[in-house]
Amino acid sequence: MDYSTLKFLGLPVLAWIPLLPLLGAFINLTLGRRLSKATIHTIAIAAVAGACGLSMWLVFGELWKAFKAGQGGVGIAQNVYTWIEVGNLKVELAFRLDTLSAVMIMIITFVGTLIHIYSTGYMAKDPRYAAYFGYLNLFTGAMLILVLAANLPVMFIGWEGVGLCSFLLIGFWYEREDYATAGRKAFIVNRIGDFAFLLGMFLLFWATKTLDFAQLKGTAVGAAYVQPFWGGERLAAAAAICLFIGACGKSAQLPLFTWLPDAMAGPTPVSALIHAATMVTAGVYMVCRLSFLFSASTTAMIVVATVGLLTALAAAFMAFAQTDLKKVLAYSTVSQLGFMFVAAGTGNWVAAIFHLGTHAFFKACLFLGAGSVMHGMEHGGSKTPGDITTMGGLRKHMPITRITFMISCLAIAGIFPFAGFFSKDEILAGAWGVHPPGWPLWYGKFLWGGLLIAALGTAFYMWRLYFLVFSGNERSEEAKHAHESPASMTMPLVILALLATLAGLLGFPHLTGIKLPSFTHALSSWLAPSVTPTWWNPGADGVNPGELIAGHASDPTILGLAAVALFIGALGIGMAWALYGRGPSAAVNRLVDGPLAGAYEASKAKLWFDEIYDALIVKPFKIFASGLYTVVDKLIIDTIAVNGAAVVVGLFSRMSRWFQNGQVQRYLAGLVVGAALVFFVTDWHQDPSFKYEIVGDRLKLTAEPGEGLLGATTKLRWDIDGDGVPDADASGKPYEAPQVFVLLGDTRTRVTLFIDDPITRKTKKVTRVLHVPTVVDPASGDGTPVVKEGT
Amino acid sequence: MSDILFNVGYGHFLVLAALLFLIGTAGVLIRRNALIILMSVELMLNAANMTLLTFSRMWGDISGHTFALIVIAVAAAEAAVGLAIVVAVFRGRRNVDVDRLTTLRH
Amino acid sequence: MRVLLLILTMLLTLGAVDAFAPSLAIADPIPAQAVNKPTRVNITKRSPHSDKIESKDTGMALLFWGFAAATLGGALFVVTRRNLIAAVMGMVGCFLGISAVYMMLYASFLSVIQMLVYAGAIMVLFVFVVMILNRPEDEPVAPTGRAGQAIGGLAIVYLVGRLIFMLMKVQPPNPLTAVQAPAPIELPGDILNTTEKVDWGSVKAVGWDLFGPGLFVFEAISILLLIAVVGAIAVARPLHEDQNNAGEPRDIPRDEAATNAEAAHSGGHA
Repeated sequence: MDYSTLKFLGLPVLAWIPLLPLLGAFINLTLGRRLSKATIHTIAIAAVAGACGLSMWLVFGELWKAFKAGQGGVGIAQNVYTWIEVGNLKVELAFRLDTLSAVMIMIITFVGTLIHIYSTGYMAKDPRYAAYFGYLNLFTGAMLILVLAANLPVMFIGWEGVGLCSFLLIGFWYEREDYATAGRKAFIVNRIGDFAFLLGMFLLFWATKTLDFAQLKGTAVGAAYVQPFWGGERLAAAAAICLFIGACGKSAQLPLFTWLPDAMAGPTPVSALIHAATMVTAGVYMVCRLSFLFSASTTAMIVVATVGLLTALAAAFMAFAQTDLKKVLAYSTVSQLGFMFVAAGTGNWVAAIFHLGTHAFFKACLFLGAGSVMHGMEHGGSKTPGDITTMGGLRKHMPITRITFMISCLAIAGIFPFAGFFSKDEILAGAWGVHPPGWPLWYGKFLWGGLLIAALGTAFYMWRLYFLVFSGNERSEEAKHAHESPASMTMPLVILALLATLAGLLGFPHLTGIKLPSFTHALSSWLAPSVTPTWWNPGADGVNPGELIAGHASDPTILGLAAVALFIGALGIGMAWALYGRGPSAAVNRLVDGPLAGAYEASKAKLWFDEIYDALIVKPFKIFASGLYTVVDKLIIDTIAVNGAAVVVGLFSRMSRWFQNGQVQRYLAGLVVGAALVFFVTDWHQDPSFKYEIVGDRLKLTAEPGEGLLGATTKLRWDIDGDGVPDADASGKPYEAPQVFVLLGDTRTRVTLFIDDPITRKTKKVTRVLHVPTVVDPASGDGTPVVKEGT
Repeated sequence: MSDILFNVGYGHFLVLAALLFLIGTAGVLIRRNALIILMSVELMLNAANMTLLTFSRMWGDISGHTFALIVIAVAAAEAAVGLAIVVAVFRGRRNVDVDRLTTLRH
Repeated sequence: MRVLLLILTMLLTLGAVDAFAPSLAIADPIPAQAVNKPTRVNITKRSPHSDKIESKDTGMALLFWGFAAATLGGALFVVTRRNLIAAVMGMVGCFLGISAVYMMLYASFLSVIQMLVYAGAIMVLFVFVVMILNRPEDEPVAPTGRAGQAIGGLAIVYLVGRLIFMLMKVQPPNPLTAVQAPAPIELPGDILNTTEKVDWGSVKAVGWDLFGPGLFVFEAISILLLIAVVGAIAVARPLHEDQNNAGEPRDIPRDEAATNAEAAHSGGHA
């Protein structure tokens, strides 16, 4: 059966995976206020669990078959409808389930279901229960869209959707000003990343005219990646770096990570789902999804790896001095994401996804455990439930939480046989063995060393946290009254801890010497069809890809590196135990006040990132905005345009009011003035005429074309002999002057003056009957012409 | 110039009528006493009469005289009614100053 | 003293009229022979109204300017005097001047009518009303609204100029007839196929035109006058019995019968 065309209720079956949670969100957000709490969480959990079941059915059914047939990279592709079709751009609302997205949807739906179940207990007393579950479902749906997208625009829909839900859920308790601000901060910082994502998308489209992943991966398009773009860089470098900046925003890397610690203002299950397991991993997923693009540019990969390393180190450093339970976990998340990006930067896509999965399990477990601790502390009466300085000795009161927390801490520290050991080891081994063409030769080792230091720090601060919370004696009254959480909350903890223990079995390193069961390499072989592990290198033969990005190390190297990692992890735990084993010891105070004072301050102040951003970016922006407000909004628009219009109207009305005041005399005055104006205006077209007089023996005709401007510019012609046609004199020159001398005998009695009006282009004729003598009597004899009146 | 002064033609009558008319207009516009305004209106009517008669003389048409007679009759009627109104207004307001005879709010 | 001056002026005027009476007579038309004979005719016309004629018309000019001055002077009196009676007297002088000017235009009937109706009846009416309104004082020119007055004054001055300019260019159809007395009107006479010549502007001529072609107008004007009379009475009547024409309360001698009748009336109604 061709699953590509499988539909359910008219929609492709893949579309139902994100659609179920979206429907649940819709119902809860619109009708939720009228439903009971039980109904609400049943709908929500059913939606996510349904999505989980559906995805499991598809993955273990059809996709498994495709994988077996070697089509794992193609998977199931389904198109809902053509969304945009403009010119060259054709974007369909299409989903694709290949092996990579299969891993993601399993994690998302499964962990999501557990967190939904956990939330029923955690948020039981919240008045906006329905809104919470609605947002949670909405988030799950958006994340699934992101992961299942078959092209970049659809992925961007999901990208934005999870950003929105992050904002909604972080600022869930918006009555508190700082929580609402944290939500806004998350959204704005994400937005900066989104802008870079869009730029990368535009760049790719411009170069390749397509945005579909399957087409972008093809060799036909790949030639565009190696085109020079700017400086000596390839196009792939520019596009990949832009997209990576987008991933930085979403996955909280340097320098766009400042929102994640503040995001702890949201409810703890939200932090677990969004900021541990799913949303922050969207960036890693995106980079792995576009592995073919990143493999085309060593510059992009070095940028990714370096940023990841710096983030891992910086976040680990900041976690040392934090005293809020969730904030430590937040920095830990940032640090672990740095690990994942280093893995991606060294071309170790499988390791990145592997660590993503294991991190999802143990970090979710840690967050939920933190939630459980805080729940218990609240019960004990604490007003600041997350403050670890007031905790201690909780192992006696919350055993299940303690055990699961401990397991997760072991996992994150990278202790055998927990999941974190394997995934972290994969990353380290990959960094050690990478030999890209454009990198300095020692860079891989450098990355390995940095990651090792970060791993040491990770182990240290996580176990500092564990010891401060659970070991020693209670440091406050509230801690003494804390108690274990209900089963709805501890159940998911147990499940996640179990997963954190067992998930490592899927990702054993490839040891040539030892024969391992096939399932231990399940993950790498599962993911292999979907990612590109080789350099894009159109060599002499045109389009064939080049060599492997990360070389395959020998067995002793692998085992040696693993041992080093294990040792570092244990060292970290040991240091933490030494300093905090039974609560904060005197040694800590000595160190903090003494040689490590500066470092402690820097760590506590989060390396002053927030303050720097505030001074460099936020304050100038606020000044600019307030300047715009004062000048453009208040002055130009309000005062000049809007009020000014009213003032002009008032002015005109005042002028008109002067005129119409009910007094007849005023009206009459207007009448008189109007009459004068009429005279004045019509003056200019006064009727023309002409004068005549006898001068000597000639008749002098003087034209009066009319007053005003017309007089100077009109054209005049004379008709002397009364035939209606303008005449010319004896020499042939037409009579056109304003003053014309004509011999007395030459005229008839009707003389016509033709006036050509230059403006109206009309010709006026003025005909006058001249009372001039036409007969000259020579009989008078005194030389003066004596004339007879004629008509 | 001397011919204008010594040879009286139609224009002189017309100009006299025009001046009279404009003096009447000025009176209507400027004065505030209702009676004076009415008298100025009479002036204007007389000016019109003079113009009528001048043109009647010019074209030799006797109907101009008839027209002028009618105008005189109408002016009389109008003066009567106008004065009656002024008296009635004066009775109510003790005042015939048109500037103060306004009930329109300023 | 002023009365003496007024009488003196009137006598002088009459004397002047008398002295130049010949010029008011119908001037003879230009003899027909003048058309055939070549005559030295100055045909330079600088203005349409400057035709020289044989008869003396300096007298005419003097009369015209004098009466024109009276007319305009009287009109200015009306417009500028604060005292109502002075204004009315100015108006009368104006009408005198106008009447004389009508005479110069050969409109004898209307000249007399003007004196009778205007100066005789209408001005008397005005005087009566001035007596009723015994409030003499007011500023001739309103103290406020100078801007409006200025604009209006400017417009009026401009109109004066334009009108004069325009009117001086009016041309009669036949300049030769302009200086003559108008031709007599031919009316159908008493006997068939005869015509009677009556003077232009005389009673008979105007009467013929009024009751002939203008009969409808005549009837209409009579109705108008009726309406005016009725309206004037209706408007000018005192509102209540106890007010006089000036609006002041007046005493009505009440007699017993009227009071009882009133009481019975109102008692019946209640």
